[in-house]
Amino acid sequence: MQIIVVDALIVERGGRRVLDNLSLTVKAGEIYALLGGNGAGKSTTLSALLGFLKPVSGSLSVAGVDPASNAEAARHKIAYLPENVALYEHLTARENVEYFLALAGEAHGPEEIEAAFDAAGLQAEARDRPLGGYSKGMRQKVAIALAVVRQVPVLLLDEPTSGLDPRATADFNALIGALKERGTAILMVTHDLLGAADCADRIGFLDNGRIVEEVACDQGYDVMALHRRYGEAVAA
Amino acid sequence: MNPIRLIAADEWRLMRRNRVAMLGLVMLLALSVIAALTSIAQRDNSDAIRARFQAQADQAFDGAPARHPHRMVHYGHFVFRPLPALAAFDPGVDAFTGNTIYLEGHRQNSANFGDVRQSSLLVRFGQLTPAFVLQALAPLILIFIGFGIVARERERGTIRQLFAHGVAPRALLFGKALGLGGIAALMLAPGVLALGWLIAFEGAPLAPSLTLLAGYAAYLGIWVLLIVIASSLAAHARTALMALIGIWAFTVILLPRIAPDVALATNPTLTRLETDIAIKEDLRKMGDSHNPDDPYFNAFKQRTLKQYGVEKVEDLPVNYRGLLAVEGEKLTSKLFDDYADRQFAAQKAQSRFTDTVGLLSPAIALRRLSMSAAGTDLEGHRRFLSQAEGYRFAIVQQLNQLQATAITYDDDSNRNKDPEAGRRVRIDPKNWQKVPDFRYQAAATGEKLQAALPGMLTLLGWLVVLGFGMRLAIRRLADAA
Repeated sequence: MQIIVVDALIVERGGRRVLDNLSLTVKAGEIYALLGGNGAGKSTTLSALLGFLKPVSGSLSVAGVDPASNAEAARHKIAYLPENVALYEHLTARENVEYFLALAGEAHGPEEIEAAFDAAGLQAEARDRPLGGYSKGMRQKVAIALAVVRQVPVLLLDEPTSGLDPRATADFNALIGALKERGTAILMVTHDLLGAADCADRIGFLDNGRIVEEVACDQGYDVMALHRRYGEAVAA
Repeated sequence: MNPIRLIAADEWRLMRRNRVAMLGLVMLLALSVIAALTSIAQRDNSDAIRARFQAQADQAFDGAPARHPHRMVHYGHFVFRPLPALAAFDPGVDAFTGNTIYLEGHRQNSANFGDVRQSSLLVRFGQLTPAFVLQALAPLILIFIGFGIVARERERGTIRQLFAHGVAPRALLFGKALGLGGIAALMLAPGVLALGWLIAFEGAPLAPSLTLLAGYAAYLGIWVLLIVIASSLAAHARTALMALIGIWAFTVILLPRIAPDVALATNPTLTRLETDIAIKEDLRKMGDSHNPDDPYFNAFKQRTLKQYGVEKVEDLPVNYRGLLAVEGEKLTSKLFDDYADRQFAAQKAQSRFTDTVGLLSPAIALRRLSMSAAGTDLEGHRRFLSQAEGYRFAIVQQLNQLQATAITYDDDSNRNKDPEAGRRVRIDPKNWQKVPDFRYQAAATGEKLQAALPGMLTLLGWLVVLGFGMRLAIRRLADAA
């Protein structure tokens, strides 16, 4: 079942065409990695899916809701992790999760939140500390816990492993793997081809606002060949 | 809970956890409480002193020994302006205008003993009153607490998270405004308690008290909206801070000080000395009752003789000297009234100018509202001067009438030559007790509310304009998202 559907999407910013007939789909329980260099249109794709940008033409659907016409309803279906996880430093991990859940209009009991923290791998002793002293990896775990407890059908990740050490990256991949198993459609944008190859089901290469090549991991592909073809472009 | 209340509640939580903000708020609340307590005590003390002095002055006048009535005219009388209960909240111009006048014949003295002339120079820099704390300090603390209220969300990226969790820009800004508004309400709380005390225990009138409260609430509401809008539109929190400090300095400090000077320059008034010289000049032109050749008083004499059907003043059934005193006082009082009217007309023009400038400064509008509702505005002072002058004229004319009716012309003419005549012109001191005491009539509630209306309308106008500002900020936020 297609949860994210982007069809012939054209988006312009400041008179420049950023997405040019972009089409992609992500199924329930699938991880799709969108790779591309700076300015390729990765973050713009996420912004359009979140309803922050209105397309010039084309269509979008997030779990059956068009974010261009009903952004608020679409956002209720989405958990979004920006590159720099933005949470409140004056609040503890638990308070952050409770606050954002309340803002999203979702009621979840303390047990569900505890379970989400467990699933995200956030140490119990850290959960009631203000986020001011958290590392990036720990903040990501809080954001993941928020996504877990919300049980939304769509998870959007913006450069999720940038700045993480290899151990934290591995933990993170395991986490989104667990979410995938629960049936979440996951779209991640990244520069990291090798990291994406580790966890994604499909990888799309974005250049000048359109997908120039898409590979499915279960069909077998040569990562090193992809790296040679796109490595320089996506690292730019 | 809806997002607006959630966002507001989080602002309060942030406030509780931010030591610097808490310190600022606690300091302001402490200042407000101290200001309220000292102001109430000071007003009570001041009013008691004035009441005591007024009673002493009345007693001294009533207890004066047998005298010639004209000596009583020059003995004079002190009258004091009682302080309204709401002066404890906003003493207005009281410290600057003086609160007592020495009333005597042929002269119109100005009010004396304003606090600025007898107290420390510090009084000139603003008394610590609930009004001052709320007008000047509360907006400043609100700025320091709230300048980053939206800008910091943008700088830290949490604004995108909020939107991604379904928070609409409108809910965000209204939530922030409600949060900051709650803090503003807390700042207002000591003032509310002070007003409650004044209503319950000091006899402050209810409607003007509620008007004061509404005015201060609207004023702080203006600052809350201004801060939220500036923080939302500014690219960075520090830009919002600089802009807001600039607005505060201009509207709260600079304009209220410049406006009266410009008003004075555009509608100049004579100084007291210039007025005295001009009155003396006019009195000289008017005539001299002691000069037998003076054309005005000669005509008056002929008129009087004709009225009584006699040939000489000695044949009049009343003391002509008394009649002369009555007529002379009538003339000088008319002249005093003319000068006072001109002075007040110029002051009214100055006030109108300041009111117009008040459109640019909510602080000026609030001051107008606050002093009018408290009964401590310039109009209250004018009212006191006008009533005191009316009282002066009445008692002087009563004494002059006594001179005309209780003393014969012969005795009056010979009082310095004939000791018996000199004794007879000293009339029964019971006459002094018949002179009524001065009772200041404060403005009625309706008049106070009417005087406060322009200030209130200006503040409401600001709220409407800032309402449009909020709409603009919401649109800009939605576009930027």
